[in-house]
Amino acid sequence: MNPTHLVLGVIGADCHSVGNKILDAYFTEAGFHVTNLGVMVSQDEFIDAAVETDAAAILVSSLYGHGEIDCEGLRAKCVERGLDRILLYVGGNLVVGKTPYAEVEKKFLDMGFNRVFGPQVDLAEVVELLRSDIAAAGRK
Amino acid sequence: MRFEQMAWKDFLAQRLEVLKTWPTGKDVDLDEGLRYQRGIPEPKNFARAMNKAKSGRKTLIQPRAGVALIDDHIRLLRHLETEGTADLLPTTIDAYTRQNRYAEAAVGIEKSTAAGHSLLNGFPAVNHGVSGCRRVTEAVTKPIQVRHGTPDARLLAEISLAGGFTSYEGGGISYNIPYAKKVDLGDSLRAWRYVDRLVGYYEENGISINREPFGPLTGTLLPPFIGHVVAILEGLLALEQGVKSITLGYGQGGNVLQDLAALTSLRELAGEYFAKAGFSDFDLTIVFHQWMGGFPEDEAKAFAVISLGAFVAAAAEVEKIIVKSPHEAMGIPTKEANASGLKATRQVLSMLTDQKICADNDIIRREKELIRNEVRCLMEAVENAAGGDPIQGICRAFAGGLLDIPFAPSIYNRGRVLPARDNEGFIRLFSKGNLPLTDDIMSFHKDRLAERAKAESRPVTFQMVTDDIYAISKSKLIGRPK
Repeated sequence: MNPTHLVLGVIGADCHSVGNKILDAYFTEAGFHVTNLGVMVSQDEFIDAAVETDAAAILVSSLYGHGEIDCEGLRAKCVERGLDRILLYVGGNLVVGKTPYAEVEKKFLDMGFNRVFGPQVDLAEVVELLRSDIAAAGRK
Repeated sequence: MRFEQMAWKDFLAQRLEVLKTWPTGKDVDLDEGLRYQRGIPEPKNFARAMNKAKSGRKTLIQPRAGVALIDDHIRLLRHLETEGTADLLPTTIDAYTRQNRYAEAAVGIEKSTAAGHSLLNGFPAVNHGVSGCRRVTEAVTKPIQVRHGTPDARLLAEISLAGGFTSYEGGGISYNIPYAKKVDLGDSLRAWRYVDRLVGYYEENGISINREPFGPLTGTLLPPFIGHVVAILEGLLALEQGVKSITLGYGQGGNVLQDLAALTSLRELAGEYFAKAGFSDFDLTIVFHQWMGGFPEDEAKAFAVISLGAFVAAAAEVEKIIVKSPHEAMGIPTKEANASGLKATRQVLSMLTDQKICADNDIIRREKELIRNEVRCLMEAVENAAGGDPIQGICRAFAGGLLDIPFAPSIYNRGRVLPARDNEGFIRLFSKGNLPLTDDIMSFHKDRLAERAKAESRPVTFQMVTDDIYAISKSKLIGRPK
């Protein structure tokens, strides 16, 4: 596992591109090697890129409400492809309609994501969590 | 540039293929569709409503809305027209349909039925077919439009126009570059030529269908002239195919004077470019979109953003405003939240109905002159790249970065233009990429940004752009350093 390599992208048929460009710039600035797949990325494209770069984490964005459909099964597919230690983060407006964050978080943690973020999260906080989660995963 | 109508035999040949792309396509019959449209009561015709708004100097209000299932969608629209007092209704199409991924839309319909609520972010009109669309359009009393983001919207247009919709949003640039990643620009422009020819055919047969290119594009710090050039080009391409009722749009930038200048200049410039190309028989109207960027999470603050947009629409005397909801920061609104955005907008517009707000002063004139010159630079470049063919001109201009939309996802967009706000919140260019703007114009942009950089004691960088993108969601217009 390469502790500085991240795979980034917006999942499914979602074309929200602004935040993606900002995340790319932010994580690069924070010292990570970011493989940014851009918008409209399939689960297989995420996994292919993670295998290729031996990434420590896949960062999935979704802003258009279909996150629930698009993200289902990603963890199982990662395990299938031998990525058994990879961290999965997801963030954005993940479901259709205003829903309490705790409910959304539970839904995506149950799906196998390690961290779940709302749209207004402070990116500095995400970088801190990512560093400590990667360090912990490396010790396993 | 030469403007030529698509040959009817080419249209019909293509049509056979288009209707085969999903099983519901076989239910579309052009003549039956015309007969059905003739039976729609006049007050429900969108083109007529826009025309009446113009002659009566009214600003009509319209929400965005769409869910997966027909009955739920009807309930949603009825709530928006009764409780929300919407003048015009939408049917927002889900993101799978927009990418022609109808099989995935079908899964979304199934899962929504099972879950008892919509898991899709819009109404999958192609899957529901002509009869499903008719159930929707017959259930409401207001004119109703298809709103989406579909690069190849040919089948959706066939089904929804035969299904009783009387307005169709989109265009070959505005529904590709901000909405797709790998769709060839020439392909989307040719697909939209088909859509415009279809609308032209309805027009020739006495059915007026309104067309609305999507003005705000990426909705993120878009300098007015970039959106205006796209709107004018898509307007020309629509008129070329026989469209008569055309509504051009612009999204709220946040600086009130820049927004007023942009809205008045859009109407003037489009009229001039259309006339110059030899078109005279058209009905041009203007739509203003409330803030398309990130919203504050706090609902009271969101209402403030919505109300400021409503004020600008009234001051600029536009025919239509597209309304946001207090749930915008969280994604798709409930029907109640959607109606409350409409009510807030209605309140502002009503209070301003009898007031004449002067949308003209020295600063607005300066901004209008700037926009006019910027638009001219880009339109000339497209003209020169066209070799007579507007579609070729547009494709070459994007390939060379002579047209470039900031923050767009498409690989056919250079993406080298970076905007930022100046010290008064006007949207300027920090990097022009390859846009063919004169040195005079660029030195104005640079001077204005230098003023802000000095005031904030920091250089103009990507960080400043990022700060501006999040500023409104954090209750400011300009992203000042902490």
